[in-house]
Amino acid sequence: MSSDAREYEVAEVVLVTRAAEPSAPDPVEAIREIFTSSVGLATYTATTMAALVGQTVTTAVNSALDRAVPMIADAVIDRLDLTDLVIDRVNLTRVVESTLDGMDLTQLVLDRVDIDAIVGAADIEAVIDRVPIIPIADYVIDEIDLPQIIRDSTTGVAGEALDSVRRQGVGADLLLAGIIDRVLLRRGRDLDAPGEPESLDRVSEEAKGADPREES
Amino acid sequence: MTTFREYRAAQLHGFVADRNVPALPTDAVRFQGERAGLVSRAVAAIIDVVLIFAAVLATIAALWMLSFIIDPTNTGNLTASVEAAADRQTRIPPAVAMVAYGYVLNVLYWTAFWALSGRTVGNLVMGLRVVNRKGAHPGWFLSLARALFCTIFPIGLIWVALSRRNKSVQDVVLRTNVIYDWVVGIPWLKQGDDAEDLRAERGGIGDEAHT
Repeated sequence: MSSDAREYEVAEVVLVTRAAEPSAPDPVEAIREIFTSSVGLATYTATTMAALVGQTVTTAVNSALDRAVPMIADAVIDRLDLTDLVIDRVNLTRVVESTLDGMDLTQLVLDRVDIDAIVGAADIEAVIDRVPIIPIADYVIDEIDLPQIIRDSTTGVAGEALDSVRRQGVGADLLLAGIIDRVLLRRGRDLDAPGEPESLDRVSEEAKGADPREES
Repeated sequence: MTTFREYRAAQLHGFVADRNVPALPTDAVRFQGERAGLVSRAVAAIIDVVLIFAAVLATIAALWMLSFIIDPTNTGNLTASVEAAADRQTRIPPAVAMVAYGYVLNVLYWTAFWALSGRTVGNLVMGLRVVNRKGAHPGWFLSLARALFCTIFPIGLIWVALSRRNKSVQDVVLRTNVIYDWVVGIPWLKQGDDAEDLRAERGGIGDEAHT
């Protein structure tokens, strides 16, 4: 391109001017020009008229419809029981189901509902009245073995030593009985005695005054 | 772990939470009420006899000290013979008398404790209790009979090891049992249902008296 520019730089431009000479008017050409212009004007006018009319008519019809349709619709609807019609003709279950299928109800509630406000307004005492507190307490006591916990926290070293001595006694009893039963070729012993041991008795405050001597 | 739902279901089917073991190690509940074996019972008996022996020694010591007030002129030494006692040559009673005293004391001690609570001190330490054939406290007469029998014929305890039902000769003859009963607390305070039965019994007797 730079080489081209260099070529232009070296080129010379020579302008030669001379007076114009008007040609003679052609009659055929003039007639044709007049005709073409007339046809174009007529076409343009017709098109414009048509558009104007169309627009005017559309506006008029629309405004007429705007006024008339609500009145007609109201009149029609007044004469129809729309609710019954919907109930009769529309499968509402399917509509509701498809609606519910389409949305995550839980998320909707979480997003839109103030759960704290609902809980705050709820009558908790009425709920608690219906909750089986005592069975729950019993259940908890059983599950955590509360008697054992109380025992662990109340019996001191002396109690544990006593338990230990007794436990060793029981172990020695079983060991000796096992050895002798093996020597005598016996199988087990009948150790169930009548009566209930006091250690499994229920503790009752009101019973503490009772004297067993009067019983026998 | 049982869920609360399961627990409730069990309750509906008649399950009652067993909370009657307030002061017992959970693993010891299993053998409560079973007949005890030889070792526990022998240890308990030895504890009792040692206690009685200590009581006899204490009595001798007390008598010796009292003798300085009662009989200050006695110059005798510690000779526990009948002759020495007869000749006022000693300040302590003859050995024969003290042994007899020990036996009597032993019988009285066992009788009283068995009749009152079913337990002597040795039984309490080893977690044992003497019961009659119905499983209740032995009465005074039965306790006396058993105490005499045990004191006179202690070797009868050996039968526990051989018996299929852990019974000593005394247990067989008097139809008693010695059971594991690890009660904690004061043993002769009867508790719970028994007391209710007792009240019902009294009420019943009262009603009969009215009619």
